[in-house]
Amino acid sequence: MADKQFKKKISDALGNDVLRGALGRFGDAYIISREKAYEGYNFKEISDNIADVKSYAASHLDEMIDQFEKAATERGAKVFRAMTGEDAKEYILEVAKRNNVKRVVKSKSMVSEEILLNKTLMAEGMDVQETDLGEWIVQLAGQHPSHMVMPAIHMTKEEVADVFSGHLHRLNQPVIAELVKTARVELRKSFIEADMGISGANMAIAETGTLIMLTNEGNGRLTSTLPPIHIFLVGIEKLVPEFEDATHILQALPRSATGQQITSYVSMVTGPTPAYYSDGTVKDKEFHIILMDNGRRKMYNDEKFKKTFQCIRCASCLNVCPAFQLVGGHVYGHIYTGGIGTILTNFLNSEKDAQNPQNLCLQCGKCSEVCPGKLDIPQMILEMRNRIGAKEGLPFTQKFALDVVSNRRLFHSLLRMASVAQKPFTKGQPVIRHLPMFLSGLTEKKSLPAVAKVPFRDVFKTIKQDVKNPKGKIALYAGCLIDFVYPKIGEGVIGALNEKGYEVIFPDGQSCCGAPATYMGDRSNARKCAIMNIEALEAEKVDYVVSACPTCTHALKESFKELLHDDPALATRAEELSKKSKDFSKLLFDLGGLTPGGDGIPMKVTYHDSCHLKRSMGVYTEPRKILTDTAGVQLIEMKESDRCCGFAGSYSIKFPELSGPILERKLRNIEESGADVVVVDCPGCLMQISGGLDKQNPKVKVVHTAELLLEKRKVKKNRKK
Amino acid sequence: MKNDQTNELYKRFKAKLELVAGECYRVNTAIEAGELVCKVLEEKGIQNVALLDASISNKGDFADLIEKKGITVYTDHFREVTPEAQAGITQVNYAIAELGTLVQADADANVNQRLCSTLVPIHIALVSTVSLIPSLKEMMATLHELPQIPGFVGFITGPSRTSDIERVLTIGVHGPKQLVVVFVDEETGEVA
Repeated sequence: MADKQFKKKISDALGNDVLRGALGRFGDAYIISREKAYEGYNFKEISDNIADVKSYAASHLDEMIDQFEKAATERGAKVFRAMTGEDAKEYILEVAKRNNVKRVVKSKSMVSEEILLNKTLMAEGMDVQETDLGEWIVQLAGQHPSHMVMPAIHMTKEEVADVFSGHLHRLNQPVIAELVKTARVELRKSFIEADMGISGANMAIAETGTLIMLTNEGNGRLTSTLPPIHIFLVGIEKLVPEFEDATHILQALPRSATGQQITSYVSMVTGPTPAYYSDGTVKDKEFHIILMDNGRRKMYNDEKFKKTFQCIRCASCLNVCPAFQLVGGHVYGHIYTGGIGTILTNFLNSEKDAQNPQNLCLQCGKCSEVCPGKLDIPQMILEMRNRIGAKEGLPFTQKFALDVVSNRRLFHSLLRMASVAQKPFTKGQPVIRHLPMFLSGLTEKKSLPAVAKVPFRDVFKTIKQDVKNPKGKIALYAGCLIDFVYPKIGEGVIGALNEKGYEVIFPDGQSCCGAPATYMGDRSNARKCAIMNIEALEAEKVDYVVSACPTCTHALKESFKELLHDDPALATRAEELSKKSKDFSKLLFDLGGLTPGGDGIPMKVTYHDSCHLKRSMGVYTEPRKILTDTAGVQLIEMKESDRCCGFAGSYSIKFPELSGPILERKLRNIEESGADVVVVDCPGCLMQISGGLDKQNPKVKVVHTAELLLEKRKVKKNRKK
Repeated sequence: MKNDQTNELYKRFKAKLELVAGECYRVNTAIEAGELVCKVLEEKGIQNVALLDASISNKGDFADLIEKKGITVYTDHFREVTPEAQAGITQVNYAIAELGTLVQADADANVNQRLCSTLVPIHIALVSTVSLIPSLKEMMATLHELPQIPGFVGFITGPSRTSDIERVLTIGVHGPKQLVVVFVDEETGEVA
C-alpha cells in the first residue's frame, strides 16, 4: 500500500497545473503522431522482429558480449565489462585522470543517470556538461529527468528561462527559440573545449562491435566528432545480434518515441575514428566501451522479467499511461519512470524504491498494446506485487478484507447484511451518494451503488427458463458485482442465451473470482478463490461457462490456470474451465448472435471498451455487432473508447485522487459523443461510470450490453408467479 | 525504365525531406550544381563557406565558382574554421528515398566530413543521384555488404531539431539550422 509520503508526492504532482497541462497535451498529440508515423508500416511485424532479435540476444547473453568485445576490439576499441555502477565509475575516473581530463561533455545517457556518474566526476573537480537540451536544463535545475525521452517535459519555458538566467547571470526571456539559441551558443563552447566525451547508445551490435545512437539535436554527432577521448557507457540490454537486426529497432524507436519516421541523426560508431588533438594533429581517438550489468543480469535471469531485455527505451508505455499522464515522472522516485521504470528501479536500484510506484499501475494494459518490444508490463508489475505481498504481507485491513472475500459464507452473509445496513446512506435511492467521513474520498466525484435487496443467486431461482429441446447447458458465473449489486445483468444474460436455445444453470457454490486478491498481490487468497470456483462451476458438466464481467472472465480463463499450475489435478480442471469460459458478448457472438430485432425505439448509444475485454481478450467488434443488430440503436463512437475509466478494482479505493481525474476524462468523452446511453460490458466500469454520471450528468444512462438487450428486445417476463 | 525508377525515388526523397524542413534540388551536371550552390549561398547572404573536397565539387569547380562570387572558401584547417563558418559543403555517400535521409559512410571516417556538416549553421549536401537507395532496409544491407562497416556512419534527416522545451518544435540546436540537398545526375565517381 502506498505510504503517506508517496501520497503527498502524488497530491503535489496533481496540484501542479503546468505538469498536468504539458503531460496532457503531449499525451494527446503523441497518440496521433505515433499513429501517423506508423502509417503504411506493419507495427505487429516490426515488433515481432524486435522481440525475435532481442529475445535471441537475451538468451545468448554471454555469447553476445564475447562477440561484441571481439569485434569492437578488432576495430581498436577498448572494451570493459562493468559488473556494477561502481566498477563503471572507477573505470571512467581512471581514464579521465590518466589523460588529465578537465572538461567532459555528455550526450544523453540514462545509464549514467542510473549510476549518478556526474556526481563522481564533479567531485574530482571535472566540469561535466550534459548536452542534450532537456538533460542540460534538468542538470542546471539540479533535478533528475522526469521522462526517458523528454527529460524536462515537466518544466515551462518560464522555469527554463529562470534556470538559464541563474546559471548565466544574465536575464533570459521565456521565448523558446531564444532559449534554444542560448543553449546552442553555451554548449558549443563546451563541445569545442571538451577533453572527453561520454555517451550512451541505443544499440550495440554484437556482430560488428558497432554502437548506434539516435539523436535529434546533433549532440550525439558532436560528442563522437570533437573530443579526442570518447567513452560509450552502455547497458548490456542494448545488445543486438547482427548489423541488419538494427533495422527493426530503427523502424520502431523514433516512431514509438516521438512519432518521427526517423530522428534527425542516427550515428553508428565502429571503433575509434580520427579526431583533432589539442596540438592540431589528426589521429585515432582514445575509444572505450563500457558494457554495464548493474543488476541487469539478475533481471534477465528471472523467467518472469526476462522480457525486459526486449525494451528499446522508447517510453511509449509512459506516454499512453493514464496514471503517468496525471502525475509525471518524478513521483516514481528514482531515475527510470513509468511502468517500465518501476520494474527497472526494482532490479537496478532497489526493491524498496519500487514498492510505492508499482501501486500506480491501473493494470489497464494500454502500454502493452503499444510496446514495440512486446513486453507485458502490467503482468510484470503484478508479479512484483505478488512478491511484495508474499514477502511482507498486506496491511491488516486489506488482508482482513481479502480473507473475508475468500470465505464465501462469511462474505456473502456480510453482503446480505449490508443490503439492510446501508439504508441510512442510500436514502431510499438506488445509489449511495454520501459516505461518512473517512470514506468520503470515495464518493467525492462519484456515487457508489447500493447492494441489491435481493442478490442474483436468489433471483435466479425465480426465473423460468422456457427452452424447448435445449442445445446445451451453460453455467453462469455471476461474480460479486452482478450477484450482489447488478442482478439485472444476470437476467439479461439468461434471456439472451435462452433465445439461442441454451439452458443456463447457476452453481450455488460460486463466489468471488479472486481478482481483488490477485491485483493486490495476495496469491494465497486468490488461490483459495480459484479452487472454490473450479469446484463449484464443474466445467466438465457444461458446454460453456459464461461471465458478464471481463475481469472475472479473465480470472476464469487465465488467472486460475496460472495460480494452480503446480497442482496437476486442479490444473487439469482449471484448463477445462479456461477452455469453456467466455465473456457474455463474445459467447453470444460466437453462437451466431441474436436475430436482428428489438423495439425499434431510437436510442443514441456509445460503447466503452473495458480494459480486460479489449486488451486481455481482444473482444471489441463483437459487442458492437450485438448493439447494431438491435433495432433502434444508433451507435456513436466516443473519443478514446478503450481508455481506462479509472475503476481498476481496488485502485479507485487506493487512489481516488487519480481514479477521479481519469474518470472525468471518460465522462468528457461520453458527453462529447452526444449519446444518451453508454453501454459497457463490465460491471466494474458500469459502477465507476454511472457513479460519475450520476453526479455530473444524470441524464445519460449507463447499462450493460445484457441489460440493453433485456430492455430493447422486450424479453418476455418469465418469472414464476 | 531505369530513369523512371530514379525519378520516383527522387520524388519520394524530396517529399520526405521537405516534411522535415529540408530543401531539395536536382541538377544534371556538376557544373550546374556549382551554379545552383552559388545561387543558394548568395540568396542566404553567405560570406564564407567550408568546402570539403569531393568528386562533384571537384568536377564542378566549386571553389573557383564560389570565390568568383566574392564568397570566401575554406578548403582546409577545418577544426579552426568550421565553428565560425557560415555554411559547409560536403558530399554524402547515399540517400534513402523512404525517409529523406542522407548517409555519410566514408571508408576512412574522415573527421572533416563531420565538422563541415555538423558545426555549420547551413549544411549543403551534394549527392550523386545514382546513390539513391529505396529503403532503410536496403540501406542497412548495403552498409553490411561493405568490406567493413565504416568507422562512422551518419544518417542525416533534415536540420537539427528539439522539442525539449514545452514540446515546441525548434529547428537548429547543436547541428545545422538549414539543410540543402543537391542531387546531381552526372556520374562523377566516388565521394572522395
